[in-house]
Amino acid sequence: MLSRSVLARQAQRAARASWQHETRRGLAAPASGSFSYDSGDAQGIKVASRDQTGPVTTLALVAKAGTRYQPLPGLTQALERFAFKSTENRSTLRIQREAELLGSELNSYHSRENLVLGAKFLRDDLPYFVELLAEVVTQTKYAPHVLHEEIFPLIQLEQKKFLGSPLSMATNSAYGLAFHRGLGVPLYPSSSLPVAKYIDPEGVADFSNAAYAKPNFAIVANGATHNELSKWVNEFFTDIPAQPSFQITSEQSKYYGGEERIAHGSGNALVIAFPGSSSPTGSSYKPEVAVLAALLGGPSAIKWSTGSSKLLLATAEAPNLFAHTKSTIHSDAGLLSIALSGTADDIRLVAKPVVDALKAIAQGVSKEDLAKAKALAKFKELENGQATEGSLELTGAGLILNGKPYQIDEVAKNVDSVTAEKVQAVAKAALEGKASVSAVGDLYVLPYAEEIGLKV
Amino acid sequence: MSVPTLAPYIMKRPWLMRWMKPLSHWYFNNAGYRKLGLRADDLIPEESELMQRALKRLSPKEAYDRVFRMRRAFQCSLSHQLLPKDEWTKAEEDVPYISPIITELEAEKTERQDLETIVMKRPANKA
Repeated sequence: MLSRSVLARQAQRAARASWQHETRRGLAAPASGSFSYDSGDAQGIKVASRDQTGPVTTLALVAKAGTRYQPLPGLTQALERFAFKSTENRSTLRIQREAELLGSELNSYHSRENLVLGAKFLRDDLPYFVELLAEVVTQTKYAPHVLHEEIFPLIQLEQKKFLGSPLSMATNSAYGLAFHRGLGVPLYPSSSLPVAKYIDPEGVADFSNAAYAKPNFAIVANGATHNELSKWVNEFFTDIPAQPSFQITSEQSKYYGGEERIAHGSGNALVIAFPGSSSPTGSSYKPEVAVLAALLGGPSAIKWSTGSSKLLLATAEAPNLFAHTKSTIHSDAGLLSIALSGTADDIRLVAKPVVDALKAIAQGVSKEDLAKAKALAKFKELENGQATEGSLELTGAGLILNGKPYQIDEVAKNVDSVTAEKVQAVAKAALEGKASVSAVGDLYVLPYAEEIGLKV
Repeated sequence: MSVPTLAPYIMKRPWLMRWMKPLSHWYFNNAGYRKLGLRADDLIPEESELMQRALKRLSPKEAYDRVFRMRRAFQCSLSHQLLPKDEWTKAEEDVPYISPIITELEAEKTERQDLETIVMKRPANKA
């Protein structure tokens, strides 16, 4: 039985709910304008923003200071770790506590090309975090004791972590084979490299002056209006050097290829890599590489199912093996890599079928397979572009190097135009050219590139 | 450990400074440590956590020089001798090298305490 008062309460609640719903929409309406980034200039600094709906803003400063551009090994890591450490105005502790009090997350990470200092926070706090980033960039104290007490131990831990993972060793070794210096520099120096010999506080400070100069970084925000962001950047980023203390350069990447085998006691990995595509803002952009990567595929997207990608069919005999194809893009080059990780016997068993699968693709691609791969490639691009972290870095990098932000709509269009012939051509070129093959683990069992039918 | 001092008070007042300067020179020259080749900062007791951390932050050159001065002074003290006059610490050499680090460490400590006992009030419009 429903009493009158209960009904009245329900009605009230319903009315309130609908009213609230509408107001929320009303606020969001101007915000949810576009999927792509608006870019502009503030104080001579490149700024891009995307006003996505939601209460949280993600802000990132993308600097051209990844491992590719570091003048000495480990400098990128040291600079990354010096982010949000004591500045002239505030101590490390104060920065951390203030960030905690406002409810936010500070992070910094690096990739091969970029160093990213980022913060996630509530929309209202944008001015505070823009000011914080400006302070980090211009006023960080590169104190010797911070380097010795806090940063070296962390770098050493990273080196050990890197040494303990056969897959990341194999991937970085494949990069080294493919591009030698520049892009080929490993993301983390291996632990046998005496990093302390190369890094000193003055060197880090000097590198920071180059990396945080106007032409070398961009500020990208997700969930902030362009006007607002430009306004605060104009206000706080006032004393940024217009020219870097030294030019940060790297030669145009050139693909070499080859084979490297590293003995390792705790695990096995085999990485087979081929020249790939640059980022959409770069010069050698080939969307068909992404389609080929999707066609070869990786672990099944559906839980507990075996999946039907070419790579999974080829590795069906070894169900416990991790197999993954990835098309990594950089500003002027890219790498299409197939990673196999598991027991040495499994890798030996499936390495040949995997290469055979690639050969079969070079012979011909069926219509259904292509449609499926295109859909997957498109989904992956769009998903990556929509998710904040990936798109922030790509957008920043595009702005610094080419003056164009990364626009996902265009990328999706490019994937649509890929034909079966183009995919076949890429696969054929990969097989005919030199591959980069890196084996890490039990070298007695792991196959050589020649044995699985690749040219190195 | 930084000790309570009247120095900032005196230095703010030039007339007082003019009075006190000769007095302080006289005092420091008679304190005796300069005749053993030490500096004033060498006399700060090492047996505290703060000082141990400050010592770690000295640059290698400064740490080496400090140990050298101490060993020399120790030797002099054992043999009941003073250094030859040309090796005495001169007034302009007697500069603080570790007390700035100590002040910095103390500031860090008080800042931590302040932050730990902070009471936060958000402005009303941000609630």
